[in-house]
Amino acid sequence: MSQAQGIQLGQEQGGLVSRIRVTIARRTEGRALALLILVAIATWITEPTAFTAWEVTLGRVALIGLVALGLTAVILMGELDLSVASTLAVCGVVMASIDNLALGVVAALAVGLIIGVVNAFFVVVVGINSFIASLGMLFFLRGAAFVISNEEPVRLASRDAGIAFGKPFLGPLTPRMVIFIVAFIALQVFVTRVRAGREFYAVGGNREAAYDAGIPVRRRIFTGFMISGFVAALAGVINTLERTAADPTAGSTVLLASFAAAIIGGVLLTGGRGSIFGTLLGATSLGILQVALTLTGVQVDVQNIVIGLVLLLAVITDPNSLRTVVGSARSLFQGRSGSHPVG
Amino acid sequence: MTNEAQSVAEAVVGEPAIEKQPFNLLVWMSSRGIFVFTTVLVVVAAIFIDGFASLDNITDVFNRAAPIGIVAVGMTFVVISANYLDLSVVAQVATAAVVLIAVSNESNIPAAMALAFVIALLYGLVNGVAVGVFKANAVIVTLSTTFIGLGILRWFSGGSIYFGPQDGAIRSFGLAKIGPFPLSMIVLILMTLILSFVLTRTNFGFLVRSYGSNRDATRLAGVNTAWVVIGAFTITSIAAMIGGFVLGAFSNTAVSSMSTGFDFRALAAIIVGGTSVFGGRGSVLRTLLGVVFVSVLTNIMVLSGLGFGVQQMAIGALIVAAVSIDSLARKASGT
Repeated sequence: MSQAQGIQLGQEQGGLVSRIRVTIARRTEGRALALLILVAIATWITEPTAFTAWEVTLGRVALIGLVALGLTAVILMGELDLSVASTLAVCGVVMASIDNLALGVVAALAVGLIIGVVNAFFVVVVGINSFIASLGMLFFLRGAAFVISNEEPVRLASRDAGIAFGKPFLGPLTPRMVIFIVAFIALQVFVTRVRAGREFYAVGGNREAAYDAGIPVRRRIFTGFMISGFVAALAGVINTLERTAADPTAGSTVLLASFAAAIIGGVLLTGGRGSIFGTLLGATSLGILQVALTLTGVQVDVQNIVIGLVLLLAVITDPNSLRTVVGSARSLFQGRSGSHPVG
Repeated sequence: MTNEAQSVAEAVVGEPAIEKQPFNLLVWMSSRGIFVFTTVLVVVAAIFIDGFASLDNITDVFNRAAPIGIVAVGMTFVVISANYLDLSVVAQVATAAVVLIAVSNESNIPAAMALAFVIALLYGLVNGVAVGVFKANAVIVTLSTTFIGLGILRWFSGGSIYFGPQDGAIRSFGLAKIGPFPLSMIVLILMTLILSFVLTRTNFGFLVRSYGSNRDATRLAGVNTAWVVIGAFTITSIAAMIGGFVLGAFSNTAVSSMSTGFDFRALAAIIVGGTSVFGGRGSVLRTLLGVVFVSVLTNIMVLSGLGFGVQQMAIGALIVAAVSIDSLARKASGT
């Protein structure tokens, strides 16, 4: 809606100022940028170590951000994949249970893809809401991780590979960061430059219209869930390599942080709006926040409270939410006597 | 979209002539199946599972079913209002149990209950306002309040375990029995009757169902939809509080991790009972039946020596299967 208005405005006036204004109005990253600036200033004052030890911070950003990137692809289509966190755990456990490292990595990534396909099957073919389908999947996989691992952490057979994986290999960058940056660029190119990726926005914005325009909506949803499953599996593989063991309970914090990153990054839960770049901003601000809190000696429970609050704030300051809240507040206080403008 | 238009058209024209629909297995399973499945499950368990039919085991099933059931009958309101579920019951149950034991150790039981009640109202208000006023997604909102709530609980309790006195009123409530029925089961049945009355016989219950089946129409009819959602979440929170009391009394200990799995067990009970996750349709009495089903199934798995992991897998699969049947039945019956 506002996007269409913005484009019209730009055509009418055409000046540089209005074009900038249009560009700003079209962006969805405002809240993430605000949070990033806020967090950066607060951290700069209280705990500047978070910036001088930027390798640590970047590693944390990569940890939060990778899962959030895959999630963004699904949310852009107005669907949700709650199972990412337990996909991460299951794939880590699968990988560690297989003695051959290369085979384990391949198996873990394949499991991630299969989970994505199963999620998409229930959403597209059976017609269940993706919240419930992926919630059931979340519980199922959480159980599966326990069963496969016999309820205890699984050690990685090839520990040396894991230790080597944690070391910087491209300048100061560890493989995790490189993978994160590559995944960011790949997804950014996919959703902005590749036709299939751009159609994600159409599917999320107006599914009926997307059908009518001849977009293969079902196939796009399958692709989206496969991306999020694959990326979550990738995160599981990286975690397992870095820790040289797979924890079946891994990922509960990741679930919270990755949703917070994507939603504060401006990805609309109803689909159709948002950007990979916004998710990156969201992940960056959360990463800095977490590292700063850890460095100041704040315990994990309090960190969870803070990130939970960020997610709660992010989801209620959604542009759609804010628009409806005015009307809701009116009906809340005026009740039946209030006159409701229709539409 | 076409379905909506069709139902609007039907509402205008009036009820279409009632035709006898051909028998459809999926429709039957989603509407009547639970009665048969529960009976079959209980009979099969009684015949084939050693130790199931003993009095001790049945009392144990009741003891474990009661807190989950109390949470589930409350959460039915959130599901019927088409807000998926309240994940934060995990945090709420643990908080109520810890507050009951820890505060009553320090001062007295009424003070503990009063504090827990205030916390429950706070949960209901925060979840309800975020979902009802800000129109935020219920799953995401309650996911964040779960982490906030559990974080606060662990922060205050330091993750420690609280033990109640061996001769206190809480302990004797937890042990009290009427025949094979523990007192907690009586609480569950009372809760079910009260909430069933609220859902089917009061104006508020009608609004919850109406909001669940068509929220725009309900809003345009001049209803304060925000209050309906806040009310549904508050009922869930109060039920979760009572569930927490019962759980704490039963074990006479409380720790922040004691309610793990309450979210999906309660959801499974609600959905298996036949309350539609698409909103608008369902009943509290059916949830009670779903609780029996899920509890007996869990008990069978425990008696067969299957671990927590397998139980979680089974219940996760059960949720997806039940919702799939509901969804396919809707397609088949054309509603």
